[in-house]
Amino acid sequence: MGATSYRAETKRVLTPVSKRKKRIPYIIAYGVLGVTTLPVILMYLWLLLRSFFEQMKYGFIPVHFTLENWQFLWSSVEHGGSSLPSIWTATWNSFVFSGTLTILEVIIGVMAGYALARIEFPGRQALMKTTLLLHAFPSIALLIAVYYILNFMGLFDSLFGVVLVKTALQIPMTAWIVKGFFDDVPWDVEWAGLIDGCSRLKVWFTIVLPLIKPGIAAVSIFSFLSGWSEFLLLYTFILSDGNVTLSSYLQRLISDPNLVNYGLLSAVSLFYMLPVLLFFIFTQKSLMQVSVGGGKRV
Amino acid sequence: MKIELKNICKSFNKKTNTIDNLSLTIEDGEFVALLGPSGCGKSTTMLMIAGIYKPDSGEIYFEDQLVNDLEPKDRNIGMVFQSYALYPHMTVLDNIAFPLKQQKVPKEERIKRAKQVAEMVQLEHLLDRKPSELSGGQQQRVALARAIVKKPKVLLLDEPMSNLDARLKIEMREEISRIQKELGITTILVTHDQEEAMTMADRIAVMKEGKIIQYSTPMELYKYPKDYFVAQFIGTPPMNFLKGKLSNRRLHLQNMTIELDREFLNFHGGEADVNVGIRPHDLKLGNSGDILFKGTVNMVEPIGHSQIVNVKICNEQVRFFVEPNTKMEYGREIEISADISAIHLFDAVTGRNLKNVHESQRQVKEYSFHSQE
Amino acid sequence: MGSVLKKWKLPAIMLGPFIVLIFLFFFLPVVLIAILAFTSMDSAMRWDFNGLANFQKLVTDPNILLIVKNTVIYVGFTLLINVFFGLVLGILTTYFIQKESVGLFFRTIWMLPRISPPVVYVLLWLWFFDPSEYGVLNSLRAIFHMPPKEWLTTHPMVAVILANGLIGASFGMIIFSSAIKSIPKDLFYAANVDGASQWSIIKDIIIPAMRWPLMFVTLWQFLSLLTSYEYILLLTNGGPLFESEVLALYSYHKAFRNFEFGYGSAISLVLVLIALIFSFIMWKLFGMKKMMGSSRIE
Repeated sequence: MGATSYRAETKRVLTPVSKRKKRIPYIIAYGVLGVTTLPVILMYLWLLLRSFFEQMKYGFIPVHFTLENWQFLWSSVEHGGSSLPSIWTATWNSFVFSGTLTILEVIIGVMAGYALARIEFPGRQALMKTTLLLHAFPSIALLIAVYYILNFMGLFDSLFGVVLVKTALQIPMTAWIVKGFFDDVPWDVEWAGLIDGCSRLKVWFTIVLPLIKPGIAAVSIFSFLSGWSEFLLLYTFILSDGNVTLSSYLQRLISDPNLVNYGLLSAVSLFYMLPVLLFFIFTQKSLMQVSVGGGKRV
Repeated sequence: MKIELKNICKSFNKKTNTIDNLSLTIEDGEFVALLGPSGCGKSTTMLMIAGIYKPDSGEIYFEDQLVNDLEPKDRNIGMVFQSYALYPHMTVLDNIAFPLKQQKVPKEERIKRAKQVAEMVQLEHLLDRKPSELSGGQQQRVALARAIVKKPKVLLLDEPMSNLDARLKIEMREEISRIQKELGITTILVTHDQEEAMTMADRIAVMKEGKIIQYSTPMELYKYPKDYFVAQFIGTPPMNFLKGKLSNRRLHLQNMTIELDREFLNFHGGEADVNVGIRPHDLKLGNSGDILFKGTVNMVEPIGHSQIVNVKICNEQVRFFVEPNTKMEYGREIEISADISAIHLFDAVTGRNLKNVHESQRQVKEYSFHSQE
Repeated sequence: MGSVLKKWKLPAIMLGPFIVLIFLFFFLPVVLIAILAFTSMDSAMRWDFNGLANFQKLVTDPNILLIVKNTVIYVGFTLLINVFFGLVLGILTTYFIQKESVGLFFRTIWMLPRISPPVVYVLLWLWFFDPSEYGVLNSLRAIFHMPPKEWLTTHPMVAVILANGLIGASFGMIIFSSAIKSIPKDLFYAANVDGASQWSIIKDIIIPAMRWPLMFVTLWQFLSLLTSYEYILLLTNGGPLFESEVLALYSYHKAFRNFEFGYGSAISLVLVLIALIFSFIMWKLFGMKKMMGSSRIE
C-alpha cells in the first residue's frame, strides 16, 4: 500500500499566514485524536503497570515493583472464603473451548461458504438471503430457548455444548466471509482444474482451497479470539468448577465484593489477554482488512 | 477427433437464448475459430464443448459418441484460458504435470513428459518458478504446455492471446499454429480478433447473438461474406460501405446508375435499399476501374509499406491504399475507381448479400484450399 | 432419478452441518421462544400454557416503565456516540492523517476495546469508576481534595453508555474508514484544484459518500444494542436495583435469575419481533442481489 495521500501536492508559493491557516484543520485533527486516544492508551498502560507494582499513587504513578500479583500462576487464589480452581485448569478449558470452536467453525464455514459461492442447487437464493438476514439476528435474545435445547440434548454445563451454540451463532457470518474469499477465486482456475482431469470435489481440495489459505487463516484467528473472549454463553451455560474458563475465572474475581485487588485483577487480565494481544499485534493489518472486506460489505 | 454440435440451445436467464439452435461440425485435425463480438456466445459454446456448461437441448458428439452428460475430466480435452488460469500455488513444472497427475501417471514419467512439453514451448529454464514470477508471454506458454501435455483429443483456446502485446501475439500465433500442425490435434479457438482467426484457422464460424452467421474458410469469408455483419467484421481496414439503391438490375450509387449483369445478382427484382461494400484493396487511385468516384482527401495514415487514405465522397467516407511514395495531402481532389466485380451488395434491411451465390461458389473452388480429404 | 441424486449430493454434503446448526440454534429457538412466551414455564420446566398472561404481566410490570425508558436512553445515546464518534475517528484517521502507518496506529488503538475480552474491558471501566480513592475519577478528585464518589451507583446509565459507546465507535470507524478509502482520489484532487476548503471537502465529498455506510452502521448498531446486554451485565448488572436495567437484560434476569422462563421468553419475543422488523428494513435498503451470482459450473 505505502503512504496514500488524498490531497494533491500543490506547489503553490504560500504566504506564511495562509500556510498557517492551511495547517489549522490538521492541528485540530491531531489534537482531537490525541486527546481522545490518550485515555485509551493510558488505561491499557495502567493494566500493564499495575500488575507489576504494589500500588499506583494517585492512580497513575507506579510504586514499588513486585511480582506478587502474578502469584496466581503457581498458587491457588482465595476467593470469598473458598479457593478458585487453578488458573491452568481455566486456561486449558479456554484453550480447548476456543480450539474446538475454531476447528468446527472453519470446517463448517469453508464447506458452506464454497457451496454458497459456487454450487448451483435448488433454494440457493433463499439460503443466501437467510444467511444474510441471520447476521443481524438478535441471537442473544434466544438464550432461553437455547438453554432448553441444551438441556434437552444433555449438553448443559458442557463446554462442547457451548461450543456448538457459539459456532452456530457465528456461522452465518463466517460462512459469508468465506464465501467472499471463494468469490475472489477466478472461475477460470476452477474450470482449468476440471478440464485437467479433476472431479469437482478434487478441484475444490487441490486447487481452490490452497488459494484461499490466507483467508482461512484470518477466519481461524478470528474464531479463536472470539472463543477466547467469550463470556456470556459460558457464564450462562457452565456451572461446574471443572469447566471454568478464563473469562469466568476473571469475572468471579471481579465480582467478589470483599476483595478489590487491582494488582491481582490486572495481572490475571493481562495473562488472559496475552493471546489476543499477540495475535492482534502480528496480524492487525490483515485482520482489519478482513473485517471490512469480508462480512460487512457496505 | 471429429466434433459435432447439433441444434444446441443454452439459456442463462430463461428468457433469452445465449445460444440459439446452433449446429457445427469440426473435422478431425481441423483448426476452427469461433469469431464474434463479445457477448455473441462463442465462449459459452466452447465451455459447452469442454463440458463445463451443459446444453439445455441439442446434442454434442465427439467422434459419434454422445457426450452431453460427460464430465469435463472424462472428455480428454486441453484448454488455454484468457487469464491462463495457472495454479498460483504450484511451480511451472507442477502446473504442467498436473493433468498427468490426475491420470495417475507415475511420477517419473510425469516429470519426463512435462519436461518434454516444456521444451516444446521453450520453457525448460523456468520450471522451478511460480506463475507470478513469469511474464505474460511465459505464463501463456505454461498454459499451452499444460493444455497439451496429456495429449488431448481436442485443444480449446479461449482468447489465448488477448492479454499479450502486439509483437508477442504474432509470435505466439505462429507457435500455436506450428504445435497444432505438429500434433495434428483438433483445435477450437475463440476470439474476437478477426486477424487472429484469419491467420490461424482452417475454418471460421462467425457468430452473432448466439447463432452462426457463416462458417467457411478465411478466404471465402473475406471474398464472399454471406451477409453485412460478416462483411464489416472481417478485414482490416474494414470494408467500405456506401448507401445505394437497387431497382431491378440498376444500381443507383452516389449520382451514378450502374447496370448489373443478370448472373451477377441474386435478386428477384423490385426496389431495395442496399449497402454497397468495397474492400479498401479494391479501390484504386485514378480512373482505371469501372466505377468512378470523385472526392477529397480527408486523412492520410502512413503504415510503412503503404498509406491508408481516407476520402470523402459527398457525405460518405471510404478508405483505400496508395503507394507509400505517392503524395497525398489533405483537401486534395482525387479520383478513385473500382471494378464492378469487386463490389458487394447487401440488403439494407436483412443484411443478406445480394451477389449471386452460384457465382461465388464457382469462384471459391478456384481460390480456397478447402481441406476436406 | 440418478441425476437428481447427483445434483443434490455435493451441496447436501457441503451444507449439511451448516444447516443443522442454523436449524438447531436459530430456527428451533425462535419457534420455542414463540411458544414459551405463552406458558408459565419455570425451573420445573413444565409446559403450562397460560394464554396472554405473560404479556399482561409485562404491560403491568411495575418496573417496565423505568426499563423501557432506560432502553431508549441506552440505545439512543450509545448509538449517537457510535455513529458520531465513529465518523469523526474515521475521517480523522483516514482523511486528515496522510501517513497510512499513523492512521493505522490510531485505528489499532481504537480497536483495542473491541478485541479485548469483555471481562477485561469492563474491568478497566470498573477501575475508572471505582468508588474508592483508587478509581481514576476519584483519584482525580483527590488531587483537588474532594471526597470519592460512588459513580456506578449514582450515574449507572452514564457508565453503561460510555462503555458501550466506545466499543461501537470502533465499529463505525472501520466501516467509515474503508468507505472513505473507496472514494476515488481524483475527487479530492479536483476539489483541491477547485480551491475547496477542508470543511467543504468533508461536507461536500466525504459526507455524501457516507450516506449508505451511515445508514448501515446506524441500523446495524441499533439492532445489536437493542438486544445485547453483555457489557451491562458485567458493569452494573442492571443495578442499582433497576436503575440501568434494559429490556434485553431484564429478559435474561427473569429467565436465569428468577427462572421465569415463560415470562422471559415473552420479553424476548417482543425484542425479536422489533429486531426482525428492523432487519427487514435493512435488508430492503441494502439490496443483496449483487452478492448472489449464479454458479458457473453445471
